[in-house]
Amino acid sequence: MLSKNARLWLGLIAALSLLSLASSCTPSGGDEGKTDETGKVYKATGKEGTISGVVAYNGAAPEAKKIDTSADPVCASKSPTLATEDWVVKDGKLANTYVYIKDGTLADGSKVGDYGGWPNMPASATLDQNGCHYKPHVLGVVVNEPITITNSDPTTHNIHFQPKNNKLARAEVLVPVKCNQHPWMKSYVGVSKHPFFAVTAEDGSYSIKGVPPGKYTVVAWHEGGANGTEQKMEVTVAASGAGKADFSFGATALGRPSSWPVVEAIEFPMLQKH
Amino acid sequence: MSKGVHRFAVFVACATFFLIIAGANVTSHDAGLATSDWPLSNGQVFPKMVGNLFWEHGHRLVATAVGLLTIALAIYIQVREPRAWVRRLGWSALGAVVAQGLLGGLTVKLNLPLIVSAAHATLAQLFFLITVSLAVSTSRAWLEPLTIEPDGASLRPMCVASLAVILTQLVLGATLRHSATWDQALPTPLLVAHICGAVVVTLFLGTTVALVLLRHRGQSWLAKPAKIAAALLVVQLGLGLAAYVTRMRSPYDPQPLNPMIAITVAHVACGALVFAAAIVMTLRVFRSLRSGRNEYRLAPA
Repeated sequence: MLSKNARLWLGLIAALSLLSLASSCTPSGGDEGKTDETGKVYKATGKEGTISGVVAYNGAAPEAKKIDTSADPVCASKSPTLATEDWVVKDGKLANTYVYIKDGTLADGSKVGDYGGWPNMPASATLDQNGCHYKPHVLGVVVNEPITITNSDPTTHNIHFQPKNNKLARAEVLVPVKCNQHPWMKSYVGVSKHPFFAVTAEDGSYSIKGVPPGKYTVVAWHEGGANGTEQKMEVTVAASGAGKADFSFGATALGRPSSWPVVEAIEFPMLQKH
Repeated sequence: MSKGVHRFAVFVACATFFLIIAGANVTSHDAGLATSDWPLSNGQVFPKMVGNLFWEHGHRLVATAVGLLTIALAIYIQVREPRAWVRRLGWSALGAVVAQGLLGGLTVKLNLPLIVSAAHATLAQLFFLITVSLAVSTSRAWLEPLTIEPDGASLRPMCVASLAVILTQLVLGATLRHSATWDQALPTPLLVAHICGAVVVTLFLGTTVALVLLRHRGQSWLAKPAKIAAALLVVQLGLGLAAYVTRMRSPYDPQPLNPMIAITVAHVACGALVFAAAIVMTLRVFRSLRSGRNEYRLAPA
């Protein structure tokens, strides 16, 4: 039988363990309590313009990495040559970049964030699971827009949205989507309060239509790297005019994409600034 | 005391170790939510074991087997074991494995919240502690008459302190592993805490092992688990460094890949073995050494 001292020590171990667990499991912060809803609705004046441009990739494009789909025979037979889609570069142009108006001031002095409703809000979007990868790879929706999720594969997928605030009814750039059954399956859904966003096509081009005259901060976000990377640009849209915003992502002097760590693997994150 | 009880307890401890490896594979493969239902997987007892479901459902099958073995062990001990505290330890093993199963189900149903997943991983180590303790306390060597030696006042508390820091380190490690999936960067504060924990464990366990070997080098009963704990600690530190290097790269991989999977699983498994060796050493120190100067000859426990 354990002595009184031994029991005391065991109790101390248990208490220390619980204390350690409790202190290391702090709840996540964030924007809890905030809502994305405002009552103001923008009414089209007929003088809306467009913002368009091309997203380029400088330097040698990173090679797509081959995905091993052998864990599921359906994936292996349907997509034997599946590869990563984080850097899809063709002729120096970058696809799958999410471009959106982050904020800005309309010609009448009001802010983009003042409005909760806009004309021509998209009604619905579709995300397909096909060949054990998501199509499209990057998708843009507005807050509360229904997303139809389809499965074109004769196997089970387990779609998993991972919004920061655990709700899709908030604006967020961008919500990662995973499949817990096939860990290589990834997609990103940009959730916006307004319809002023686009995803670049294979030729790197994009176009955002119906933009009220004003001055805006346009952001191009790309998933490359551990947490994605983004670039900003100020763009002015005249009445019925066209704003231009070309972006460029590219390799660093070391030949890596700019979002990659400079020294991989042996870096010490505790020495980094946060 | 039946030799069969000891052998069965050793078997359950080994099965529990295998279960820890299976569980570590679930985390390293990011397979915890391969199916969102529990206790069935996709509504079936034996679903098609493809993709990550192989790891998650495989873990559930091994856990079920260990749960049944623990029930059998608790009953076996109840029937054959004369010592009340060992019988109570057997039933506590059963309670722990039931709680562990419920925590596993809870973390799946709640979408893997950090605190529940970390608690699940921690209780796994505590359950392993109980099964190893049962294996040690039912052994013939434990029951043989021993000369209880005086040992000053240091070894017993040093052993317990070592166990405490190892357990704290296991909690930190479990929390670190479950705070980010393979494609996310590990949180720096937890990583730093885990690295500092490794230093503290090395100091405490290293000192304890050194004291045991200095004072009781000739007693293999005490020296053997101390030497094994020291060797495992060295291996574990190397695995920790390797796990760090491979895990830092994994967010840039297209999927969870080896060597990250193999090394992180080995790091978890070796951590459990360090804990087990420290438990064996501690139990034996408590059994054969006492504070004070008198020497006793003890009858079978």
